[in-house]
Amino acid sequence: MILGIDVGGTHTDAVLLSREGMVASAKVATNHEDLLGSIRLALGEILKHDSMEGLKRFNLSTTLCTNAIVQDELDAVGVLVSAGPGIDPAHFRIGTAYSLIRGGLDHRGTELTPLDLEQVKGVVQDCRLQGVKVFSLVGKFSPRNPDHEQQMAAVLEGKCDFMTLGHSLSGQLNFPRRIATAYYNSAVWPMFNRFANSVSQSLEELGVSPPHLNILKADGGTMTMNQARQMPVESIFSGPSASIMGCVAMCRPEQDAILLDMGGTTTDMAVFASGDPLIETESMDLVHRPTLVRAMKTRSIGLGGDSAVSCSDQGLCIGPRRLGPCMACGGQTPTVVDALNLVQGLCFGDVGASTAGIQELAKTFQESAQDCAKMIVQTVCRELKRQALELLSRINERPVYTVHELLEYRKIEPQKIYLIGGPGRMLASFLQETLGLPVVVPDHYQVANALGAALARPTMEAELFADTRKRVLTIPVLGVNESVPSDYSLDQARTDVVGRLCRHLADRLDWNVSPADVEIVEESEMNMVNDVSQVGRDIRVKSQIKPGIVPDYDQAVRCVCKEL
Amino acid sequence: MQRAVNSMGIVFFPAFDWAISPTHPERQERLLYTMDQLKEEGIFDLPGIREYKPDVAKMEDIRRVHFCFPDTGSNVTSSHLISAGGAMKAAKLFAEKQEDKSFALVRPPGHHAMKVVHGGRGFCNVNMEAIMVESLRDDYAIKKVAIVDTDCHHGDGTQDIYWHDPDVLYISMHQDGRTMFPGTGFPGEIGGPKARGTTVNIPLPPHTGNEGFLYVLQNVIMPILKDFQPDIIVNSAGQDNHFTDPITNMNFSAQGYAELSRILNPDIVVLEGGYSIQGALPYVNLGIILALTGLDYSYVLEPNYRPEAVQQEDRITDYLKKVSDAVLKQNRSPDTDAISREREGKFFVRSKEIFYDTAYITERQREYLLDCDHCPGLLAIESSSSRTRNCLGLEIPKTGCEKCTELGLQMFEQSQKEGRFKNIQLIDRIHGESLRYRDDA
Repeated sequence: MILGIDVGGTHTDAVLLSREGMVASAKVATNHEDLLGSIRLALGEILKHDSMEGLKRFNLSTTLCTNAIVQDELDAVGVLVSAGPGIDPAHFRIGTAYSLIRGGLDHRGTELTPLDLEQVKGVVQDCRLQGVKVFSLVGKFSPRNPDHEQQMAAVLEGKCDFMTLGHSLSGQLNFPRRIATAYYNSAVWPMFNRFANSVSQSLEELGVSPPHLNILKADGGTMTMNQARQMPVESIFSGPSASIMGCVAMCRPEQDAILLDMGGTTTDMAVFASGDPLIETESMDLVHRPTLVRAMKTRSIGLGGDSAVSCSDQGLCIGPRRLGPCMACGGQTPTVVDALNLVQGLCFGDVGASTAGIQELAKTFQESAQDCAKMIVQTVCRELKRQALELLSRINERPVYTVHELLEYRKIEPQKIYLIGGPGRMLASFLQETLGLPVVVPDHYQVANALGAALARPTMEAELFADTRKRVLTIPVLGVNESVPSDYSLDQARTDVVGRLCRHLADRLDWNVSPADVEIVEESEMNMVNDVSQVGRDIRVKSQIKPGIVPDYDQAVRCVCKEL
Repeated sequence: MQRAVNSMGIVFFPAFDWAISPTHPERQERLLYTMDQLKEEGIFDLPGIREYKPDVAKMEDIRRVHFCFPDTGSNVTSSHLISAGGAMKAAKLFAEKQEDKSFALVRPPGHHAMKVVHGGRGFCNVNMEAIMVESLRDDYAIKKVAIVDTDCHHGDGTQDIYWHDPDVLYISMHQDGRTMFPGTGFPGEIGGPKARGTTVNIPLPPHTGNEGFLYVLQNVIMPILKDFQPDIIVNSAGQDNHFTDPITNMNFSAQGYAELSRILNPDIVVLEGGYSIQGALPYVNLGIILALTGLDYSYVLEPNYRPEAVQQEDRITDYLKKVSDAVLKQNRSPDTDAISREREGKFFVRSKEIFYDTAYITERQREYLLDCDHCPGLLAIESSSSRTRNCLGLEIPKTGCEKCTELGLQMFEQSQKEGRFKNIQLIDRIHGESLRYRDDA
C-alpha cells in the first residue's frame, strides 16, 4: 500500500491506495501555523479506516518551504560568489551576507584568476562571528569546472551546519539562477530538517513505518527524504504538479492536451505533449527570482468558482478577487458558481440566493437572470480559452538552435481538455463548446493532488559535458569530474551519462532504474577548431528520467476517461 | 535584479548544424560560446529582454533583392533562409513596436552579397540586411533607412545593393582595403550618380583602437546620420575588429563595442562577421546587448584584455583625423571628378569584375542606370560568370516612374526574343513582383 498526502494552501488531502484502488481518503483544513498538525490530522482520518499495516511508501507534498520563502522566514546564509568577466555579480546580491570572492573561470571552465583563499577565510570568519551557520558557494561557470566551489568548500569544512555547492544543483548554465537557488536551498535547510525530524517522529508515534518516505518535487517527481534533507529547495511548489500527476494516473493521456484545475479563486493550467506533462524549460521563479528548480509548465489564472462577479463601466467583471463563498452557500456577492447554478439548473445550495444575486446584476444589463448567468459562464470560458491560446503560443515559440529543428518543428496542438477541481465539472459542457475540444472530467477529481503525490515516481536530470581538447568530463549533479581520452565520442557520452545516472540512483537512493527508462533529451557534438585544424570536440548530452507513475500501481486508479 | 531600460528582442539562431566546411571560420561552433556566456549571465531572464525564434524567409523575399543566377534556389540553403528570416523577425519586432530594439544574433552573415549573386563570397550568399530592409519598406511605412556597418571588412555587398538608392544611407567603417579583403571601401566611393553622398566609407588603418573607432563615430558617422534623418538605424555588427580576431588586425575591445553601441543607439542590430569565437564574441555580444538595453556593462572585460596592449599609437590618431576630415568633405561637397559619369546614350554605365572567394567564381558585369528625371531610374545589369553566362537583371525601383516601369517590362520581353541572355530576372519593386526567364535550349 502507498500513502499520499498533499498539504495545499486550503486543504490537506490524503489518500491510501492498494494496487486495486483507493482504500481511504481524507480532506482536512490546512493550518499554516502547524503544517505537521495538519499532516497528523489527515493521517488520523486515514487510520480510522485502515491501520496502514504493510505500508510500503509514503509520499508527501508540502508547502513548507514555499511558505517560508514567500513569507521571508529564512535563516541567514553566507553566500560566497566568485565570478569571471560579464555582468557585475554585485547585481545578483541576495540575502544579508553576500560576498564577492576574487577569482574567476571563463566559459570553458578555464581558470582566469585563481581563487583568493585568504579572502574566503576572512569572509567565513566574519559570517561565523555573526552567527551564520549555513552557506552557499557559487562560482560562475561552475558546471564546467567545480574547482573554485570545491576550494571554498574545503575552507568551510567542519565550520558550518550545511553548505550548498552551486554545481550540484544543475548542469544548466545560469549564474544568477544558480546563486538564488543555492541561497534558498541553504536558507530553508535548518527549518526543513527540523520538519523532517518531526515527521519521522510523528509517524513513529502513530505506529506507521513505511520503508520509503519521499517528498514531492515541482517537476512531478519524488525524491527520498534523505535527498530532500540535502536539497529542500526542490520541494517548493509541488502542489500544482501533484494535481497534474493525479490526472496522469487517472487518465493516462497520450495526445497533446490541456489540463485545467479549477479551484475556488484560481484555475491552474498545464499542457501535455504526447501525453507527457511539459516541464518549464528555464525552471521556475521564486519571489521574482528565477531559479534552477525544475518545475512543470503551469499558468495560474485568477479565475475560479468563487471569483466575485460585478459590473463596471467596461461591462462584466469576473475575479480575480474572491469576496467570500458563493451566494448559494451564504455569501454576499454573486460568483461564477452562482451563475452555473442558474444555467445548469444544479440545485446547488440555496438556489434562490443565487438567482437573487444574478438578478440584481442582470438589471444593469437589462437582461434576464438566465441570460446574464449565461453571459458570465461564457465570459469565463472565453477567458480560459484566451489564456490557453496564449500559453500555447508561448510554448510554440520556444527557440531552437539547429536548422533541422527549426524546419521540423512540432507544434503542440491539444486534442483534449482534462478538467479537475471542484467547480470544474459544472463548467465542462460550456468549455467544450467554447474551446471546440472534447472535455474529460475524471473520477476522483477532488483528490487528484493527493493521488498524484501518492503515485509519482522519482525524476532526475543529468547533463554531461565533455571537452576532448582539455580531456575533461563533468556531470555536475552527479559530482562526476574526471578525464577522458582525446577520442571520446558522443556515443560513449550517451552510454556514460545513462550508466552513471542509473548507478547513482541505485547506490545513493536504492532505486533500480533500467537504462531504457533514461531519456536523452538534448545532445550535441561540435568540432573545436583552432586556426584551420580541429583540436577537439565539445560534447554535450542531457538526460532525464521523466515524471511518471510508479509501475506496480499503474492500474490502481486508472479510470475510464470518457469524453462528455 | 536589473531591469532593461530599453526592451530588446533577441533573435538567436546559432545554426548548430550548418557550416561552409568543417574547419571554416564560419562554422557550427561560432556562436556556441556566445550562447554559453549569454545563458550563464541569465540574459534572457532579465525583465525587458526576450528571446525569439527566427522566421524562415521565403524565396520571394530573396528575389525582391537579388538577381540570383542561374536561379535563387541554387544560391541559398535553408540556413540562409533562416538567417535572413531572423533579420526579418528582428525588423518586425521593432516595426510593430513589440520591442524598443532588436538584435538578430544569427549566422551565416550576408554583407558581402551583392545585387547579383552567382555564389558565395566573403562567407556570404545573400544579404541579410538588404532582405530585411526591403521587407521593412514593403510591409511598414518606413522610407529612409541608415545602415551603419561596423564589421572589419568593407560591406561591399550592401554598398553595391544600395549604390543607386538615395533613401538608404550606407556607412561603413572598416580596415583599410589596401590591407584587407575585399579591397574596397575608400572615401571616394560615395554612391551612384543619382545617390551621391548616401554611401560613406571610412577606411581605418590596421591597429586602430577604441579611441579611433569612437573618434570616427562621434566626428563622422553621428553628424552624417543627423543630416540624413533616417526613419530607422540598422547596425551591421561585425565583431572582427576585436584585438583577438584571427583574420584581421585591429585593436577594438568589448568595452569599445559596447560604447559604440550606446552612442550609435541603433534600432536593429544584425550580426555580421567575427571569428574570435572564444576570446571575443561571448564578451562583445554581451557588451552590445547590455549597452543597448541601458544596463551596466562596466564589468564586461575580456580575460586577456590589457589596455596598454591595445593602446592606439599617436600616428594612427593623427591619421584618423585626416581621414575623417576627408570623408566629411567628400560627403558634404563631393569632388565631382571622383564620380564616374560615364554614359552610353541615356544610361550611366559602369563595368565591374567580381571575384567570389568562397565559391571560386569570377564574374564580369556591365551596369546601366537610366538617367531619369522623375525617379532613381531603371537599372539593368548584364552579367556573365565562370559558372553562369549571359545573365541579365532588370530592376524597376520602388519609387520608379511610369516611363521606367514601361521600359523595364519592354526590355524584359525584348531581351527574351533577342536570345542574347539565357537567364533574365526582372524585379518590379512597385508591384512587388519578380519575373524570371530561363532559356534552357
